[in-house]
Amino acid sequence: MTRGTAFQFRAGTSFFHRLDPLTKLVWLIAVSLLAFGAYIAWLQITITLFVMVTALWLARLSLTVIFRGTWLFGVACISFWIIQTLTLPGTHVAFHVFGHPIYAESADYALASALRIYAIILSSLVFVRTTDPRELAIALVTQMRVPYRIAYAFFIALRIIPTIEEEIKTIRAAQAVRGVVRQGGVVGRIGEMKRYAMPLLVGSLRKASMMVMSMESRAFGAYAQRTFVEAPQMNATGVAVCALMLAFVVIWYGALMLGFVHSFYVLTGT
Amino acid sequence: MAYASPNAAEIETSVGVDPDLLDRAETASDVAIDIHGVSYTYEGETDPVLNSVSLKVRDGEFVLILGPSGCGKSTLLQLLNATIPQTLTGALDGDVFIFGRSIRTTKVASFATEVGMVFQDPDAQIINTRVRDEVCFGLENLCRPVDEILARQVEALAFVGLDGFGDRSIFDLSGGQKQRVSIAAVLAARPRLLVLDEPTANLDPAGMAEIFAVLERLNRDHRTTIVMVEHRVDELADKVSRVVMMDSGAIVFDGEPREAFSRRRAAHSDEGRTVPISAWFPQAAEMAILLSDRLGAPLEAKHFPLNVEEAVAFASERLSPGKVPKPATRVVDEPAASLEKPFLEVRRLGFGYERDQSILSDISFKLGEAEIVALCGRNGSGKTTLARLIMHINTPPNDAIFLEGRDVSRLGPREISSQIGYVFQNPDHQFVTDRVGDEIAYGLKVRDWSDEAIAERVDDVLGIVDLKRYRDRSPFSLSLGERRRLSVATMLVLEPHLLVLDEPTIGQDHERAQQLMGLMARLRERYKTTILMITHDVRLVAEWADRALVISKGKLLFDGRPEAMFGDQALLDEAGLLAPPVFAISSRLAAQHPGHGVEPTLSLPNLADAVAGASS
Repeated sequence: MTRGTAFQFRAGTSFFHRLDPLTKLVWLIAVSLLAFGAYIAWLQITITLFVMVTALWLARLSLTVIFRGTWLFGVACISFWIIQTLTLPGTHVAFHVFGHPIYAESADYALASALRIYAIILSSLVFVRTTDPRELAIALVTQMRVPYRIAYAFFIALRIIPTIEEEIKTIRAAQAVRGVVRQGGVVGRIGEMKRYAMPLLVGSLRKASMMVMSMESRAFGAYAQRTFVEAPQMNATGVAVCALMLAFVVIWYGALMLGFVHSFYVLTGT
Repeated sequence: MAYASPNAAEIETSVGVDPDLLDRAETASDVAIDIHGVSYTYEGETDPVLNSVSLKVRDGEFVLILGPSGCGKSTLLQLLNATIPQTLTGALDGDVFIFGRSIRTTKVASFATEVGMVFQDPDAQIINTRVRDEVCFGLENLCRPVDEILARQVEALAFVGLDGFGDRSIFDLSGGQKQRVSIAAVLAARPRLLVLDEPTANLDPAGMAEIFAVLERLNRDHRTTIVMVEHRVDELADKVSRVVMMDSGAIVFDGEPREAFSRRRAAHSDEGRTVPISAWFPQAAEMAILLSDRLGAPLEAKHFPLNVEEAVAFASERLSPGKVPKPATRVVDEPAASLEKPFLEVRRLGFGYERDQSILSDISFKLGEAEIVALCGRNGSGKTTLARLIMHINTPPNDAIFLEGRDVSRLGPREISSQIGYVFQNPDHQFVTDRVGDEIAYGLKVRDWSDEAIAERVDDVLGIVDLKRYRDRSPFSLSLGERRRLSVATMLVLEPHLLVLDEPTIGQDHERAQQLMGLMARLRERYKTTILMITHDVRLVAEWADRALVISKGKLLFDGRPEAMFGDQALLDEAGLLAPPVFAISSRLAAQHPGHGVEPTLSLPNLADAVAGASS
């Protein structure tokens, strides 16, 4: 018995679980567009809080799951924030740390950049955790007219990621008991990947071959079309969510283009 | 969410599928499988896997295929829905007809309504994440109407005893339940032939019993033809109508189960009335063979017992009511290994990945030297988690696991791995080099042994595991049995005090399982190594273990001798275990014939001796 990865679909009854995959995809893309379109800290803080509230309240993710899914990225974001704050040039000194000037523009930009990455990772976690890959594949076929063989290839890829992650964990554990010590640095990581490659490749090929046989033996690909017993469809709530997210994106980018707001931090009074 | 059905006019045939697939009339012939003179060589290989194999199976038969690892059993199964030659290309000679259709001209998908395939690993064959989606998958591909698909899905789940499981996530099911979902997924298409390749290899005894019960009903009530490769013959021998034994790509026996299991195992299958030594035999039949030897009375095949009830009746007939038995040979309990200074001690261990989800709770036990200990329990009961905590693969809580008095939570991987070896279920996961010799040397190199000492030690260990001739080969090019021996060798080269084996005999034939356990016994003799084996194999426990630990729902339910474990029916039920047939037979005989010197035992020779001693 092992703990499942956080980036893996888990069935549930939350508001987000009940939304169709296409609506959630629109939500994810809109959050990403908003995050990419702003380099101001207050806006990134707002977006991050918005995504966090969505994760906790609308997707019913626990703080533990959020931590497990994002802690590594969180550490990277904090490091990124500190390094950029200390190294980026600016004109207005906000304060000093051990005599080193910290510029208001640098600190704001660094915080916005770090939060942008975190907001996108967190929104991806919400999407993956609440969206059955199979439903996403079906939505691609029935709502976006993607050929079902391609959509299923996409689904299988998503489906197999947690399996491969588990396989890597098992290989790492199996090799650790041989006395293999994990080494840091690029060379160490390359050596590690080389050791993992063969067992992972052998195991993955065996599993993939079994999956292909299982699908073929159940007539997958026999016809140009197939029946979908349950095809997700966008309901009124989904339409409302899409409209709202679209409105946010249009308003923000419209405001930027018309010069009502600045994409970058501008110190008041300058 | 809303249901949506396809436009029937859009449905078209493609990739060479028979145009009349959906409305095909049943074939008139009652021959399900007709294989004639088939030889097959995989692409890129030189030696054939199948040699002039001929086999005819009629509708409604239940065929069990037995044979050593690598004898061609799985390859034979892949012919039955045209995976060979349609998906796996290679050199195929001879003819194969499935319900009258040639596999050379019929696509795999065209057999979907006639042949259902179930493989060993449910995790690898299940495509979807929800039970209902998985069961509907095949019928959706066949473009059946939604109403029909849903009705058949309900029917198939009910048949395998999973009513109401449609909305469950696959990730929340036990191994046995997952395999039943796999069977339901093929049954939904109502196949006339069901082909299964070791479907219970990864399951606990309770899960295995569930699967065999489903198959028996399917064959008996619906006359579905079943062809199955399986090593666990004790529970199957009386359910199948025919046994086919294979060796080196050829069929060496084909007949009724009693005829099959009345034969003696021999190293060479061309000896008269013998079958390959690697085949597993039901213990009921093995007991009859031993007993007839003891009594000097050869038996006709038709009298051979195949299950516990028949074996009890068989032995009872031979017990003389008036005979005064010799004093029974009692197995004297050897004193347990000294546990005053245990090598390993687990004290009130609790563990969970999440704070509110406990996987192990309040586990306490000690391991001394030179013991063989079985760790038993259902799939998901926490056995592997416990072993991983002992190895510090998962971080154990402080002051819960002690290795020679030192807290494991404070020891590094090298300190632990120099004392404890862990052989994973899949040997491939542990290989880190490109050569067999280097693989064994690796553990010594990282411990800075000299080149001369390494060479000497590697040579010694290669000899012990009989892999000297493969010294320069890639570990991945070896057979499964050889790879497992190599993974054991990589551990024993360090002379560990404790060797943990995760399901050591899974998917192994009889001979290789015996070889592996013989190796473990030699290790114990030579290095005083304690063996802790995580296993579902009750025959393995009965034959080799000195002691058993039983875990259920994260709690240690039992710590004692295997005889006591198998004698406690409530414990077996709780832990999803079954007593091995030898114990069930001897227990019933002891209860039915008190005073005849037959006692509950785990040893077939002891049972045969006791019955022979009390017979007329």
